[in-house]
Amino acid sequence: MITLDRISKTFPGTDIPAVDRVSFQVNAGNICVFVGPSGCGKTTILRMINRLEEPSSGRITVNGQDIMSLDPAVLRRTIGYVIQQIGLLPHKTIEQNVSLVPELLNWPKSKIKARVTELLVLVGLDPGTVGRKYPHQLSGGQSQRVGVARAMAADPPIMLMDEPFGAVDPIVRIHLQDEFLRLQQHLKKTICFVTHDINEAVKMGDYLIILNMGRLIQMGTPLEVLTEPADDFVLNLLGDDRGVKILDLTRCETLMDRDRNFPYNPDSCLIQSVKPVKIALELMMKKNIDQVGVCKGERIVGVLTWNSIKEHISRVSRDRP
Amino acid sequence: MGFISFIQNNSGLVLEYTLNHISLVLTVLVLSLGLWIITGLIISRHDRLAGAVISLSNILFCIPSISLFGLFMAVPGLGLGRNTAVLVLVIYAMMPLVRSVYLGVKSVDYFVMEAGKGMGMTPSQILFRIQIPMAWPTVFAGIRVSVVLITGIATMATFIGEKTLGRLIHQGITRGNADMIIAGAVIVSLIALLLDYIMGRIEKKVISPGLRYRTND
Repeated sequence: MITLDRISKTFPGTDIPAVDRVSFQVNAGNICVFVGPSGCGKTTILRMINRLEEPSSGRITVNGQDIMSLDPAVLRRTIGYVIQQIGLLPHKTIEQNVSLVPELLNWPKSKIKARVTELLVLVGLDPGTVGRKYPHQLSGGQSQRVGVARAMAADPPIMLMDEPFGAVDPIVRIHLQDEFLRLQQHLKKTICFVTHDINEAVKMGDYLIILNMGRLIQMGTPLEVLTEPADDFVLNLLGDDRGVKILDLTRCETLMDRDRNFPYNPDSCLIQSVKPVKIALELMMKKNIDQVGVCKGERIVGVLTWNSIKEHISRVSRDRP
Repeated sequence: MGFISFIQNNSGLVLEYTLNHISLVLTVLVLSLGLWIITGLIISRHDRLAGAVISLSNILFCIPSISLFGLFMAVPGLGLGRNTAVLVLVIYAMMPLVRSVYLGVKSVDYFVMEAGKGMGMTPSQILFRIQIPMAWPTVFAGIRVSVVLITGIATMATFIGEKTLGRLIHQGITRGNADMIIAGAVIVSLIALLLDYIMGRIEKKVISPGLRYRTND
């Protein structure tokens, strides 16, 4: 668990604080995304958590321990760190790059070797061929994977990720995001994730922290933020397709009608209750129908109608007065 | 090819000068590498000092070698001979070496160091595991320039009594003996080429393959 208590940071030579009295908490096992325009302080906050920057005032604790009481180098070895530029050491092989933190921690050689192989497999790289290559021989996507593997090497409970998928093309980015979410399902790391891309934030985050000009504007789950944006800044940040984004995050069971009978041939027009409404909508459009049956396993539990979707979006995403 | 018969007829003398020349160059090389690489590393961490030291090395480099030999010869305690020769040549090696170490360390990618720091490397681990290995290509370029430079300027040490190959060239000029001049010049060139070749081989061993072929593929 990471706790920030009224953290401010003013860089020398400036009057305006880069981070202004920000407090929040990141619970264990969650992905918390810091999102906002450039210069909003998101990277500075991230870098204060592993003491690459020192706050001007306020207190940061990691698992109850004030980080100012820890040796910065020792602290950083327990926190994975991934940056957009990746920063692989060009003179070391991929294996050597991934073993960097375990080496700093003086792990035995055999343990390091086994761990490196395990990690490369985990991030979808072939240890036999990629392990002995040098960074300049890898593609952008491969390098990003190595960056993530290197950060996870010593199995840190906390990871700080600063636009980790920012340097690859959109197709590879989506692929890396999906893979990472799949990994996270069983790794359950506590992750602070910085991005300026609201779509990435909504997709990756268990919680969003929205920042502007050093201030914390809003925090909450992606659905909370989408349905109840705190102000015009957040509304703007969310973009013109807020309703569609909500559909992607709302489960079918939330909007379904439990009491209606389902008139169609059930085989072709069913959807699982946990699927996002977006998928139900796709099915309706494809089949040219107005309702789909919602089921839990084999059993039909309700009906989701086009009207109820429309009404829901109209209700939650109407323009604020 | 008169210079070959000159070498054959004076093989003892030529050998003595050659060995003396090589030993002078190697002595200077060892001292310069130790002294100037450390200086380069120190100034890479102190920017204000760096400006002053690099300017000084530029100024020293611009002084004609013959006058520098003459000046130091007059310093009490140095006088004629090896000590003065070594000192002057070490001063000439300063500019290429200090500058290449400084530039090499300074040109290391910021984000590579930032990643190292973020993973918990201490400043000295960053220096020895990232900055120095990544600076090697630039440093080696500087070393190879210095080696050729020192081998050439070492001929001038003949004027302060060092029996280097410069003596063949100088005496060849005063006696109007072209074969003697060519013999001296050719052997000096060969020594420079040989040392450069050896440095090239060491370079291949020291520099990581990851740094040798950059961003071309």
